[in-house]
Amino acid sequence: MIDVQDLVVSYGTATALEHVTLTVAAGEMVALLGPNGAGKSTLANTLAGLITPAAGTVAIGGRLALIPEGRQLFPDLTVADNLALGGWRSGRRDPSPVYDLLPRLAELAGRRAGVLSGGEQQMVAFGRAMMSDPDALVVDELSLGLAPNVTAGLAAHLTELNRERGLTVLLIEQNARLAFDLCHRAYVLESGRLVTEGACADLADDPRVAGAYLGGAIT
Amino acid sequence: MSAFLTYLLNGLAVGCAIALIASGLVVIHRVTGVVNFAQGTFAVVAGLCVSSLLGLGLPHGVSELAAVAVAALAGLLAGVAAVGRRGTTPLSSLIVTLGVGVLAYAVEIVLWGDQPRSAPGLAGSLSLAGARIQTQHLLVIAVTAATFALLALFFGRTYLGKALTACASNPYAARVVGIDVRRMGLLAFALGGLLGGLAGVLVTPLRPISFDTDVTLIVNGFAAAVFGALTRPVVTLVGALLLGVAETMAAGYGYGSHQLEVALGLMIVVMIVQASRRSALSQEVT
Amino acid sequence: MIGRVAVLAVAAVTLALPAVLDDSSLAVYVLLGLAAMVTVGVSLLMGYAGQVSLGQGAFYAIGAYTAALLALGGAPPLVGLVAAPVAAAVSAMVIGTPLLRLRGHHLAFATLAVQLILLSVTGQLEFTGGDIGLQGIPQFGVGSWEASGAAAYAYLTWAGLALVILVTRNVIASRPGRALRALATSETAAASSGIPVGRYKLVVFTLSAAFAGLAGGIYCFYTGYVAPGSFPVLISIQYIVMAVVGGLGTVWGALVGAGAITLLVQGLDSLATLPGMPSYAPSVLSYAVYAVVLIGMVLFMPQGLVPAVSSRLSGKKRREPSYR
Repeated sequence: MIDVQDLVVSYGTATALEHVTLTVAAGEMVALLGPNGAGKSTLANTLAGLITPAAGTVAIGGRLALIPEGRQLFPDLTVADNLALGGWRSGRRDPSPVYDLLPRLAELAGRRAGVLSGGEQQMVAFGRAMMSDPDALVVDELSLGLAPNVTAGLAAHLTELNRERGLTVLLIEQNARLAFDLCHRAYVLESGRLVTEGACADLADDPRVAGAYLGGAIT
Repeated sequence: MSAFLTYLLNGLAVGCAIALIASGLVVIHRVTGVVNFAQGTFAVVAGLCVSSLLGLGLPHGVSELAAVAVAALAGLLAGVAAVGRRGTTPLSSLIVTLGVGVLAYAVEIVLWGDQPRSAPGLAGSLSLAGARIQTQHLLVIAVTAATFALLALFFGRTYLGKALTACASNPYAARVVGIDVRRMGLLAFALGGLLGGLAGVLVTPLRPISFDTDVTLIVNGFAAAVFGALTRPVVTLVGALLLGVAETMAAGYGYGSHQLEVALGLMIVVMIVQASRRSALSQEVT
Repeated sequence: MIGRVAVLAVAAVTLALPAVLDDSSLAVYVLLGLAAMVTVGVSLLMGYAGQVSLGQGAFYAIGAYTAALLALGGAPPLVGLVAAPVAAAVSAMVIGTPLLRLRGHHLAFATLAVQLILLSVTGQLEFTGGDIGLQGIPQFGVGSWEASGAAAYAYLTWAGLALVILVTRNVIASRPGRALRALATSETAAASSGIPVGRYKLVVFTLSAAFAGLAGGIYCFYTGYVAPGSFPVLISIQYIVMAVVGGLGTVWGALVGAGAITLLVQGLDSLATLPGMPSYAPSVLSYAVYAVVLIGMVLFMPQGLVPAVSSRLSGKKRREPSYR
């Protein structure tokens, strides 16, 4: 579904991604880990077609939607309008399927997005991405700045969509614990290069990964 | 008293014309972040066009619509120059629109010469509670009211209008959901051209227009738009009406030679007050 | 070393030129030099403080009117010439203190407004001669010597421009000048590193006004009259075109920009006044040149001619300036 081969992205003279190769099969749920500044969001934006790569190929086998880092809503517009604009590509204007999925959004429909709490905003960003009726979803920092119970709620929705509707998911996270809980396979990106990849169970045992992302304590 | 009412009504009409120019500035600035110096140019182009078309014997209505369409096209072309190229910063774009305005001088002088031109509008005047008001003034007020209502509907109720607002609200997010922000910028410029053109065809029967009238028009329009911080149409409308009434009153009661200074001085004061309020706010945040 | 030789060569050639030029070429020489003086200031303001002034013509006018009023009032011309930049600088300091709280397009429109207000006021006041302006301004002179003839004004212009260049180079090389470079890159970063951003911006604004005022002072003695019509808004735009063409924030850029645009417009002007050309041809051509050059440069060569050429020569890529 997502096939990235030998991707190079640079900003001016600085290289943000160096020869990154990554695949996510249809219906798979894969994690991408890495510290701040590793190039995770650059990869997300490149997958979404917002950045033109300097070299390499990006092939997406269907419609891809991005939940960008920091939610990135339209703060002056209502929740309903934010959702409606999520359907810009698909031509879908009516948000009721998303309300079925996330009933809380129906209650918030008339509120301005800018005044919502972080968790509510992330839910709107989630709903807005689903409005494009995507085959694949890239989630950039789902948990950032959210309370654990809020994150857990959103993660449950994500898992449900993956299991029941076969939604392909690339979960970009700093929170490795969450990523390992949800996904069975992960990549680790550092300074623009993929340093390791594998099954989450194996990675959790890898002392380098455990040390850097799980605070040393493996449970 | 009737003199006062006359000045008030005439001032409202003048303010409405300013409001149309200013609304074009606001539409373009909201969507693209660019202040379009060529906004007065669109009005001049439309005004000169309508004088020619009526001179050729085309009927009213057709001439005005065609002139507004030409202004919208001019807006689109200005947009291509100002925001058509990726990575042009808003202040670079302002300088480009400055260039567009000067380029328009060259074209306008070749096509229409450098003397002021006028066009016939609605003839006659009405008596309203003892005050006389020209019918053309009433037309200006009516068209402006309708235009602002339509703009509010467009931005508040239609999908395309919301997409334009989205570009202003968060351009990155607009790109994330697949909106072509540059194309929306061009659309905003065309809409700005249309609004400027509307002002031009309405004003030309009231006061003759020449190629360099654009400076007065843009400065007045900017002054009004500054009231609404270049983003809020309703406050802009109020600002424009105040400006129009103040200028007309000043002229009517014998201070006519200073109306420009009053308007411009007011604009500078408003900007400085806004700037100091902004910096006070940002200091509270940090 | 090569740079110093080049500077001396340019200085010597330009100093020798007035002796061999005819009167109409001398007129171009003087206008070019005056435009260069103002443009150095505009370039400094745009390149170092990152701000656009659409009202630089106002300070040119203030300088011209100051010198003219003093000379007509019987003061020695030298007093008028010295007072011109001082008056412009003082006005800039007074206007700039509140105005420089504004940035970007707000400052651009505010400076434009200042020029429009000034033009309107001078057009109405009695002592400035209203719309007709001031005429019969005596020739420039010092003591018993009187500047008679265009060559004398060419030398005066050369000296004025040399002074402007020297001052600018010293400012750029000074410690505050290096701090200003940081200001052009990022105002926030400059402020957080302890640079008094507001004061430096005011200094640059005042300095650029003084340059324009000096040029205005020479202009009024050279032409012998000043009127509001001598200082249209377009003149301010013209200085921006010259600064952008040459390259912002460099003395050479300002000189090359002023030279290139003045010569281009003069060349087209002589073309446009050939027999058979329509009467509007000169103004149309100069408008078209300003516009096309301005748009083309900002979009396709934003760093300007001089930095583009010198970076090609040295093989280095320079940071493109950002107008904020």
